[in-house]
Amino acid sequence: MRGKFNKLTENLDYTLLFSVVIICFYGLLVLYSSTRLAATEVDNPYFFVKKQFLWMVLGFLFLTIIIFIDYHKLEGYSQLIYISAIILLIMVIIFGRSTYGAKRWLPIGSFGSQPSEFAKVALIIFLANFLSMNKLKLDNFFYFLLPFTYTGLLILLVFLQPDLGTSLVYLAILIIMLFVVGVKIKYLIFTFIVTLSSIPVLWTFLKDYQKKRLILFFNPNLDPLGGGYNVIQSKIAIGSGGFLGNGLFGGLQSQLNFLPAQHTDFIFSVVGEELGFVGAILLLGLYTIILWRGIKIALEAKDLLGTLLATGAVTFLFFHIVVNIGMAMGMFPATGLPLSFLSYGGSFMISNLLVIGLLLNVEAHR
Amino acid sequence: MRESSTVPEDVKQRLNWLLIFIIICLAILVISLWYLQMIKGGELKKRAVENCIRSLVEDAPRGKIYDRQGELLVTNRPTVLVSIIPAEVEDLKGLSDKLSRIINVPPESIEKKVKNYSENPFKPVKILDDCKTDKIIEIEERKDELKGVVLEVKPRRNYLYQDLAAHSLGYVGEINKEELQQLGNSKFQGGDIIGKSGLEKYYNDILGGEKGGREVEIDALGQEIATLLYREPIPGQDIVLTIDKNLQLYGESLLDGKKGSILVSNPYTGEILALVNRPSFNPNLFADGISYADWQRLSSDPDYPLTNRSVQGVYSPGSIFKVVIVIAALEEGVTDRKRKIYCSGTYKLADKVFTCWKESGHGSLNVIDAIANSCNIYFYTIGNELGIERLNKYIHKFGLGEKVGINFPSEAIGTIPSAEWKEREFKQIWFPGDTINLSIGQGYLLLTPLQIHSVICAITTEGRIYRLHLVKKIISPDGKIVKEIEPEIYKKVDISSSSFQTTKEGLRETILKGTGWRANVKELSIAGKTGTAQNPQGETHAWFIGFAPYENPEVCITVFLENGGEGGEVAAPIARAMLEKYFKIQE
Repeated sequence: MRGKFNKLTENLDYTLLFSVVIICFYGLLVLYSSTRLAATEVDNPYFFVKKQFLWMVLGFLFLTIIIFIDYHKLEGYSQLIYISAIILLIMVIIFGRSTYGAKRWLPIGSFGSQPSEFAKVALIIFLANFLSMNKLKLDNFFYFLLPFTYTGLLILLVFLQPDLGTSLVYLAILIIMLFVVGVKIKYLIFTFIVTLSSIPVLWTFLKDYQKKRLILFFNPNLDPLGGGYNVIQSKIAIGSGGFLGNGLFGGLQSQLNFLPAQHTDFIFSVVGEELGFVGAILLLGLYTIILWRGIKIALEAKDLLGTLLATGAVTFLFFHIVVNIGMAMGMFPATGLPLSFLSYGGSFMISNLLVIGLLLNVEAHR
Repeated sequence: MRESSTVPEDVKQRLNWLLIFIIICLAILVISLWYLQMIKGGELKKRAVENCIRSLVEDAPRGKIYDRQGELLVTNRPTVLVSIIPAEVEDLKGLSDKLSRIINVPPESIEKKVKNYSENPFKPVKILDDCKTDKIIEIEERKDELKGVVLEVKPRRNYLYQDLAAHSLGYVGEINKEELQQLGNSKFQGGDIIGKSGLEKYYNDILGGEKGGREVEIDALGQEIATLLYREPIPGQDIVLTIDKNLQLYGESLLDGKKGSILVSNPYTGEILALVNRPSFNPNLFADGISYADWQRLSSDPDYPLTNRSVQGVYSPGSIFKVVIVIAALEEGVTDRKRKIYCSGTYKLADKVFTCWKESGHGSLNVIDAIANSCNIYFYTIGNELGIERLNKYIHKFGLGEKVGINFPSEAIGTIPSAEWKEREFKQIWFPGDTINLSIGQGYLLLTPLQIHSVICAITTEGRIYRLHLVKKIISPDGKIVKEIEPEIYKKVDISSSSFQTTKEGLRETILKGTGWRANVKELSIAGKTGTAQNPQGETHAWFIGFAPYENPEVCITVFLENGGEGGEVAAPIARAMLEKYFKIQE
């Protein structure tokens, strides 16, 4: 036992762990700057920071527990984890609490949680297990379609909430993991073409309000209170930061509350405005370290299961980081995807730390 | 010593490709960031400091109101408000002085308004309502000096015929704190215009529409550079009334200088064709934001011009109530077409003496003559024989003592006296004398003209009371019918046809040779009943109820003149004039 513990601590990727800890505190600082004025409405400028910190502590607790469970033991549970995720998502549709017209929350006691966040982790574990066991069969096209079916069910359930951003995360995780496990590139291209050409057919099955939401998703400017306004404000905020930024608490746009979602989806614009190019590059640098360590862990894993778990974890983080920052700079439509370790939100923070736990686990159990 | 890896080589290769892809993506992010912050940074910084986003609410035009022929009665006219956005003001004192010289509002009052702005400094604070064109031009010309001043276009309610049907239409005004709490903050905000009375209030949700708004970017000089977002307001839906504008106007002219009301309706649909209330008021005063002096004048006027007499006023009905008594007596077999009662001019009950209005007496009368001559003695006799219990049964059969259920806010119920009621109100027992008084519509009985009107409608249709209503249909701004109000039987009065027939015959006789002779015209067979009600307020109330044509009724009419005198003398001629107008009979 003692020896096992020593081996674990010896093999732990401290570079990754410390990068995550630093980025978490960086996030708390930015969160404080963006919410201290808004939070005075609840008579406590630390209101959001305090809650975020508690979730962070909870997340690190889960992370620690995960490290100690050898990822090979997950094999037996992967189907159970997948089915639990499906059940939770169905419960959201039935009992869910809605915000901004979408049901994403499952009330647990006095606070809510978003099962679609945890389903991301569940999907990574399930796919890693399935693909590692069936790598050779995937050359058979029908076998290749199976993981699409499993993931498609999850996508359908979050799509009904409706949460398009999250369904794209599931899709990205599936595609990248399939790519890495070595499926034929022509299969991937084929499914891509089929998906594109089936859009008009799917479109006719949608109800009018669903179509409206989809149109707004691709063109937020049609919704005057939605993303279009945020994107314009966000670009001005980031640009006005310049090289060194206006200093913490010095952002005109963010302090004047021009950005409605500045502590969640648009937190990067606060970084850009108040900490400037230097602050943003520092943040991107930390993300780069995390992603690089993730790929390294995937490359050095003991077996294919470990590689795929790490790949899924990296994809999860990578997709959120690139899409969110790209959105803040107006390169993507406002998809409502939060930024890992920075955006305010409990379920998201915990699921991020869970995938870091997966990465550390794969590294530790070589 | 590490155990050897079993990860296949092809997977590792693909992982390297993934790493390259990730690096490319991150590099693109860095380049974009460089472009945005280092190259465009200066320009965007200037925009952030100097430029502001102005968010302006655009009110939805309220739905229009038409009469039954489609003639426009109520519309909106655009007005320009002068407002100041507190967040954009640099030198409040200087600005107040400059603006004050243009619009003649004292600078202190401008300063005070801006300083006391509400929660949001970006929300325009209204300084002047309905700004005149020359001043608008001057403000436009001197825009550079007046940073923070904005001109907002707002639709203003416009009642084209001033006080026409003012009580039915109601008026609009700015939402107040209590209404804001009641209606909910999500849909309404301070400064919103809502219906305060009448149909404007009852149909506020339909007329109101949904407000839109604009986000505009302005530069350091307060000039608009670009419209970032625009949401068109959704105009309210229009309402078509059952009211006939010409008949309404004519009715109002007949009551000019008097106090009272006229109701004309189709008894077979419940559509109200005219609902006249006098004295009246001009709802445009409210739409413009009523001045304190005007409000004082209207609300303290002893003639209560704001009261909708037809719907909210309760009065003693007097002899017109005899129609209910006679139906009760016929139904209960207390009297019939043959029974004659002798009127000597007085009626003794115990040691009390009750008189007929004709001191010399009517002599021997049957039921038809008793109605025609409105003989009190006849009604004392049958009323006393019926007793209060049975009388009450029939009063309630007509739906009296309840609301008529018109589509209108705050309808009054009136008072239906009974033994229990008197015990409760006065701690007194019901005397036979009280029944005698009730038999001729006097005493404690109080009804609204609208309730009286529903009684005459019930008699005309022989028992079917259609729900009285003022709105015919609701149409969308592009002219499509959203909802059509169908005639609806509100209550069925369970009384035999023969009792109705006898009563109607009596009403026809009233016009031909009875108290209602002044309503007689040879071209039209009118049936009706007059009433002269004593009341504690002074001069008697004059009443007339009736319908025409007698053979095949088209309309019912109720005329009420508060402290107006004798029903036959003043109310009957007005009813005749109204019916002549309706049936287009030359005078």
